[in-house]
Amino acid sequence: MEKIAITGLGIISPSGIKKQVFWANIKAGRSAVEKIERFDASLYPSRIAGHVRELEGYSNVSSRLLKKIDLFSHMALVASELCIEDAKINLAQENLKRVGIFMGNAIGGWLYAETELRDMYTQGRDGVSPFMASAWFPAAPQGQISIHYGIKGFSKTIVADRASSLMAIGYAARTIIRGKCDFILAGGMEAPVTPYALLCCNTSGMLTANNDHPSTAYRPFDKNRDGLAIAEGAGVLTLEPQSRVSARGAHVYANIIGYGTSTDAVNRIEPSADAVQLGRAIKIALDDAGLKPQDIDYICADGAGSQIGDATETKAIKDVFGDYAKKVIVSAPKSIYGNMLGASGVLDVITTVLAMEHNMVPPTINYETPDPECDLNYCINKAQERVIKNALIINRGRGGINCVLILQKP
Amino acid sequence: MNTQTDIESKLKAIFKKVLDIPESEIVPGAKLDESLGIDSTEMVEISVVIKKELGIVLKDGELKKTFSFNDIVLILKTKNEGSKGCSSSSGSKY
Repeated sequence: MEKIAITGLGIISPSGIKKQVFWANIKAGRSAVEKIERFDASLYPSRIAGHVRELEGYSNVSSRLLKKIDLFSHMALVASELCIEDAKINLAQENLKRVGIFMGNAIGGWLYAETELRDMYTQGRDGVSPFMASAWFPAAPQGQISIHYGIKGFSKTIVADRASSLMAIGYAARTIIRGKCDFILAGGMEAPVTPYALLCCNTSGMLTANNDHPSTAYRPFDKNRDGLAIAEGAGVLTLEPQSRVSARGAHVYANIIGYGTSTDAVNRIEPSADAVQLGRAIKIALDDAGLKPQDIDYICADGAGSQIGDATETKAIKDVFGDYAKKVIVSAPKSIYGNMLGASGVLDVITTVLAMEHNMVPPTINYETPDPECDLNYCINKAQERVIKNALIINRGRGGINCVLILQKP
Repeated sequence: MNTQTDIESKLKAIFKKVLDIPESEIVPGAKLDESLGIDSTEMVEISVVIKKELGIVLKDGELKKTFSFNDIVLILKTKNEGSKGCSSSSGSKY
């Protein structure tokens, strides 16, 4: 695969909004998962989440527009602004018909949607806001970003459950290679900390019920793991071809050099027990990158935190990496701020590029009791110094979706 | 609601609430699209709130983005007077 550069990033996360703050919290392994107090979640089996704080402090979105959009669009707008500023791109000098937006999102703008649904049932048809139609659907952030900046190029929103934004990034990279865009804003956003969205996540059985200890509840690979904690947030990257990077002297965080995807075709929620298709997605990505397993220095795992999720992910890594599987360092830093569902992939990419920049592997936190079924070389509880040249990122979604991206330090 | 001034004042409050703009921008000659930057969903929202708060129903297409604030005041005044006329005649007829 032709190398596609990551030249800018914008983060909205429970671990912080600016990249310096975000990395400081990741490096320290400081959990940002808390009890949900935004609404009465007392009857929910899982009632903890990673919350974004201080978004207003970074937002230039007018109050007039805020009335018409959901939180996930708001976060996407702020993340895009931070990203474009970080990439030092002046959109006024760009051909906006050649700029694209590729976003990943799993559930859409449910806070807006469920509020209007309630009004429909209590007040009738007239109770529903006319802004609802454009506020809730998963591609709304893509639309809002394009309107705000006048971006008119080839754009997409990918809905692939927890693999949405990683898939969007992979697809964006391939789109640039095909010459369809000069550069692309790629990433994802998710705002699932709402009464109905949380309920849906709860009924899927994928959430931790360790509500008494929110900061230690999400524990990928630990023997006593019982699921993930959700989180809200957004991440946006600028992706550019090498020719453009050279021409404008852009800073390159990392290059995307490989992408692979497959589907389990077994179960609508749980991953396949044999992990064969995930292994195949990993091999496709490695072949795409022209790398062997031994060339990978770090694996940023999907880290679903479920018994079958982590065990099958471990199996897939072992099947592909063989003996080297016990040597390559692995972690799931999303255990620190929560699983952002559709936006988890872009946060994995951002965490990984910052790890490459700082020569430190981010930790999986809350790992206390080893599990013989998850016996890889994990970086646990605090960051470790390590030069990362090649990193492999895994994201999986319900319905058996597997997605793998490979990054290389320039 | 009896006078044009009354309607104007109530409509101004609706515009302020829906559009979140300062009152100083809501002048009689302000065009909905050119001066106030109204989009189609805001047009619908304004119609819905007018119905809720003033009891006046505006049909689809009755409000146009090219209208000024004062154009709408006059439409509402006419409808308000028309509905009073209808209700008194229907009271005697039926």
